[in-house]
Amino acid sequence: MASRLFNPFTMDEPRRLGITLVMPSVIIVFGFLLFPFLYSLVLSLMNYDLARPQENSFLGLRNYLQLTRDKYFLNSVVVTLFFSFVSVAAEIVLGVAIALVMNQRFKGRGVLRALIIIPWALPSIVNASMWTWILNANYGALNALLSQLGILRAYKPWIAEPGWAMIMIILANVWKETPFTVILVLAALQGIPTDLREAAVVDGAGAVRRFGSIVLPMIAQIIMICALLQVIWSLLHTFELVYVVTRGGPYNSTDIIPMRIYWQTFKALRFGYGAAMAYLAAVALLVPATFYIRAAYRVTVD
Amino acid sequence: MKNRVLLLLVFFLACASLFAQESITVIFPKHEADLSGAFASRVRDFEARAKIKVNLIQMGWDDVNNKLTAEMASGGSAYDVVEFDNGNVAAWLGAGWLEPLDAYMPKGYTNGMIPGFLDLFSGADGKLYGIVWNNDTRFFFYNAGMLKKAGIANPPRTWDELISQSKTLIGKGIAKYGMAGFWKAEWALANDFHFYIYTYGGKIVDKKGNFLFNKDPATVAGLQEMVKMLKEGIVDPASLTYDQEAVNNIFLKGDVAFLNQGIPGIMAYAEDPSRSKVAGQIKVGLVPGGKAGLSASLTLPEAYAIAKGSRNKAAAWKFIEFMTSKETNKKLAQQIGLLPIWTEQYTDPDLVKLYPYWAGFSKQMASARGLSVLTWYNNFVEVCIAETQKMLSGKATPQETLNNMADLLKDYAGKP
Repeated sequence: MASRLFNPFTMDEPRRLGITLVMPSVIIVFGFLLFPFLYSLVLSLMNYDLARPQENSFLGLRNYLQLTRDKYFLNSVVVTLFFSFVSVAAEIVLGVAIALVMNQRFKGRGVLRALIIIPWALPSIVNASMWTWILNANYGALNALLSQLGILRAYKPWIAEPGWAMIMIILANVWKETPFTVILVLAALQGIPTDLREAAVVDGAGAVRRFGSIVLPMIAQIIMICALLQVIWSLLHTFELVYVVTRGGPYNSTDIIPMRIYWQTFKALRFGYGAAMAYLAAVALLVPATFYIRAAYRVTVD
Repeated sequence: MKNRVLLLLVFFLACASLFAQESITVIFPKHEADLSGAFASRVRDFEARAKIKVNLIQMGWDDVNNKLTAEMASGGSAYDVVEFDNGNVAAWLGAGWLEPLDAYMPKGYTNGMIPGFLDLFSGADGKLYGIVWNNDTRFFFYNAGMLKKAGIANPPRTWDELISQSKTLIGKGIAKYGMAGFWKAEWALANDFHFYIYTYGGKIVDKKGNFLFNKDPATVAGLQEMVKMLKEGIVDPASLTYDQEAVNNIFLKGDVAFLNQGIPGIMAYAEDPSRSKVAGQIKVGLVPGGKAGLSASLTLPEAYAIAKGSRNKAAAWKFIEFMTSKETNKKLAQQIGLLPIWTEQYTDPDLVKLYPYWAGFSKQMASARGLSVLTWYNNFVEVCIAETQKMLSGKATPQETLNNMADLLKDYAGKP
């Protein structure tokens, strides 16, 4: 019976049409998503070294075990966690603050709302190149600005010191990603009924109380979605920034996980080991992704 | 009727195939000194002479390397002639990505070529896999104008002399720093690691891939020199953010007096007032060494090779033969100062007249050494960058750095 249903010569017309229409999507999903996904899983279980093909062999879970002892990978996990936590915290705090300001009525509000999106709309590589110039040790805009303000006596090579390099990468990322939070939170703020706020004012509630008791609970879910998305993006979207500005240096102080995967796969040509790193990162991403889907679903249902 | 149409079609196809031009795809990086498109012009000459169409792809070194790695790993046939960098010799030959040239090369073709280049691009099977198109040997340049102003008669012969001269120049406000290093977290930092060690006569690994660098006092001394120059303010402290291009620009701006590992073509830039503030002041010297009489430079040659997957290997060889010929070498030398691969051209009267400073180059070339040839060179570079930067940040001593490197690379020890 089943074979008749899927036999192209015996199946009925609507079924044949349906399968024909679905086939291109199936081919695309299988060819461009599922096959690479499964193939890289196989690679992650192998010693697949392009520079030493004679040593390629099946390793089982040994690549994954080696990761737990890999000093540079463990460092990149710590660097990524720090980078994500500080970036996302700053993006949320700044994003909510800017959205609150932009929710007020003032002259030029429309223009400002349009301008605020520009950093987010810039291609990542353009943003990264721009920050390379801003942070340049000899003729960078940041040095020039701080010198003219009298804050710096001599130009500082910002990205030559591990601590400052990380701060600058975070700053560049926050500058680019904050507008996304601003736009989403602003939309949520505009959905809060004005009579609620007016009633609170009549009851004598101050600005802080109104924010804590009315505004924050009503935008909490959007903030949660923003935070989760920013966590995911901090892992997926920051490769260009780090690659262009610091290359992960100095002394691996900005070596986020995507940089490590890139090095092992495309520079060291250890495709198996690189795939194992990518798989671990993908599994780690499932955690915020699951929370994100649940939060987004809740918002839709509400 | 049907048969006639078919016959006519076959006839037209046969004619078309007779007149169809053979074509090849060639990929190699744009040369730093080629501001006028000299390489592209020579490629057009080849097309006209050989009647072979060339699809030429030129881009930055990193981009070419990334593109080729993906293409060669997939066994593709997109490129016929490919860039073959000295740093990739062991890995690419190990992976079997290239076609040996011996079967295509006329007998005696390489006679008169700089011998080191033949050794470097030959496999363990004794076959030749690449012919050098870019003799990228690095040289020591100094700003003679600055030295004269400071009352310094001769360029430094040792690192100690360089430090002392730099202090004089900085003290008199003539230079901001003695020099700058390209110590950003990228590939070229491993070149500088080799460079400083070579200037002390040190070695990285032996032919079997065994580590020498953490046991050789000369190696430790090379790294100590890097740290010393940074600590004493001789080297620009922003060096950890500089790539090679940035360092060249700083030298041409007149901020520093010395340039280590300068490309041969830097003289073309230096004499161009639109790019340089030091026109007429730059001279070539011997690289200072750990002690007097000890000098070494780094040679980073790039070759043309034929991809294993190429479907036009004979045409690919014709291209390589033309582009590396004495005639083309001389033209490129005259146009953009490209260093020839043929020894006789260093005494060619036309070229000697045009480039009197090549006399200094040929003295240095006697002590030029290449990078370590290892199948795991990429892994070496990764560890070298991280640990050397740690040392330059003051977080590890030179000896600790070398010990850390040996420990992190222990899985590769003994593998050539």
